[in-house]
Amino acid sequence: MGQVELKSIHKSFGPTAVLDDINLKIADKEFVVVVGPSGCGKSTLLRVVAGLEEASSGALLFDGRAVNALSPGERNVAMVFQNYALYPHLSVATNIGFGLRRAAMSRREKREAVERTARLLEIEPLLKRRPGALSGGQRQRVAMGRAIIRNPAVFLFDEPLSNLDARLRMQMRSEIRGLHSKLPTTTLYVTHDQVEAMTMADRVVVMNAGRIEQIGTPSQIYDTPRTTFVARFMGMPSMNMISARYDGDALVLPDARVPVPADWPERLGPWVGRALLLGLRPEHLSLRASPGGVPATVDLTEPTGSETLVYLHHGDTRLAARTPPDTRLRRGDQVHLDLRLDRATLFDPDTALALPTLPADPSKTGETV
Amino acid sequence: MADQSAHPAKDPLARIAAPAITSADATPVRQRRAGAAARILSGPLPWLLPALGVLGLFYLYPIFEAVRLAFTDARLFDTETQLSMRSISSMVGSSTLGVILRNTLTYTVASVVGQIALGLAIALLVMRAERARLRGTLALRTIVLAAWVIPAIANGIIWQLLFSEAPFGAINSALRLMGVAPVAWLSDPSNAMTSAVIATIWQGTAYSMILLYAALKTIDPALYEAAAIDNARPWERFWFITLPHLRAALVVNAILILIMTLNMFDTILALTGGGPGRATEILSLYAYGTVFQNFELGRGAALSMLLLVISLGLTVVLIALLPRDRR
Repeated sequence: MGQVELKSIHKSFGPTAVLDDINLKIADKEFVVVVGPSGCGKSTLLRVVAGLEEASSGALLFDGRAVNALSPGERNVAMVFQNYALYPHLSVATNIGFGLRRAAMSRREKREAVERTARLLEIEPLLKRRPGALSGGQRQRVAMGRAIIRNPAVFLFDEPLSNLDARLRMQMRSEIRGLHSKLPTTTLYVTHDQVEAMTMADRVVVMNAGRIEQIGTPSQIYDTPRTTFVARFMGMPSMNMISARYDGDALVLPDARVPVPADWPERLGPWVGRALLLGLRPEHLSLRASPGGVPATVDLTEPTGSETLVYLHHGDTRLAARTPPDTRLRRGDQVHLDLRLDRATLFDPDTALALPTLPADPSKTGETV
Repeated sequence: MADQSAHPAKDPLARIAAPAITSADATPVRQRRAGAAARILSGPLPWLLPALGVLGLFYLYPIFEAVRLAFTDARLFDTETQLSMRSISSMVGSSTLGVILRNTLTYTVASVVGQIALGLAIALLVMRAERARLRGTLALRTIVLAAWVIPAIANGIIWQLLFSEAPFGAINSALRLMGVAPVAWLSDPSNAMTSAVIATIWQGTAYSMILLYAALKTIDPALYEAAAIDNARPWERFWFITLPHLRAALVVNAILILIMTLNMFDTILALTGGGPGRATEILSLYAYGTVFQNFELGRGAALSMLLLVISLGLTVVLIALLPRDRR
């Protein structure tokens, strides 16, 4: 079993609060990715779970049992570090087997366990080498081998792919995911890379400035961000934010009026006449062939091959739209946009929180803290 | 003759001197010479020359002189010297040399081991304190370093005051306060060597502490965290992470301390003067006495050569212990 629960964890270094009231429950065998900008406290959170840092207050429970007082070695966790932290003077085999030193196994069983792990990670030919003679990707595998072999209750990953090149990162991403389905183990994975968060996680935890902004499945986080921070942080390019006002039957944008879906008037009742932020993903803006919709001016196009990103502005608002690859536009072109308001998220500009009344579909509601 | 020179083809010398051939051959030679000079000038040599000059004048030349003197019967105030093996043979045949070498061995081994062990202990302590974010580590490092800044002769005098068996002797006074009988630190031949070693370790520890502290600083802290998660005991962390990392620093440290200790002279001169008897007389002190008290310049030079050979020999042994990539 490997259920992990953090109950109002606080951590401060001197006067600086690094973690502020963190509550998080990770189910057994769940793969949870913590994502956030650098300095948001995500690594500290991981280190608190590992026992490398002590929480200033709050309870950390493994399977309902408080482990705050246990040393890292007693918690039965394994960790993969950003720079791998392989013991440079020991061979790959000794590195992998290091955690088994005091296991109740014969020498032969230990050797077999090391070989089995190496086979799983396809690093058998490297067992006799020293870490210094390995490539980044190979070191990464050795570091994972050292974690796997101990069969821990919880795996902790601290930005493990950030030192790899883009291609290898993509490959290791799917390998780590594949490994998790082969050896289902509770996993807490920290990264600043939203692609890793979206592609690997069962659930994503978005952190900012020591607090949890939102917890949810990748699609919940993406489709129904709870705060403007989550909306802007997740997604490339990030969510368009357009200042708007609801006048009772349409959304008033700086330079356009957009009719709203049929179910909005009922829900937006209290918001008539008040300022709102309209959040729309770039894929929910489309170019119109005929005039109408929202007028905008093209600033830049980025053809990526499979699609063309068009950056535009409407009044003072900068926008990004995901368009078909054959889009041919030039800087300064005037275009008209259609907005898919049924996929929009509305935010209160004062609190930066998504309006509680939207969206209506309960299956799309993000689990919030 | 004039005829002959008029026919250059018949005269080999004249042919060599023929202008056409000369110019064709000499230009590349001159160019080649200029190229070689430029290569030397653009290489490291001009930059090394000042240092080589100083080293040659103040280090290599005296060594060369000492080697030459060792093979003479020179005396300090005699100008008449002749080549002779007498200095070397009398040195080797002397019964004193055995005592001196044994003293040197005891003193050097105890001091070097003590300085490295204590230096490492303090360096580890400072690191530990820094990791625990304790205050005062900078003050601790500064205080330890202060010992190293004190000139060795002053160090000898300070320790002589501390060890003094007179009523003002600090250590014995403290012992007396605690009800312990005073110790004859310097006058008892069996204690004097210990006292000399303590004074030397006290001063030299700072050096080895700083060196090892710098090496400890280069160890990736994540390794200790990985070890903590792997449930490694403190001794395992030391054995599997710290010690292998420190290997090069320890060997270099040992070489430097070894040479400094073998040549240590002023502290002991001020502390015991080599006595009582010959109880703390080590090779450097003995060579000094041979030259400046007995005026036997040749024999003193031979003893210095012996010291040089021992230093070089031990250094070679230690270098063999360096990790292969650092040699």
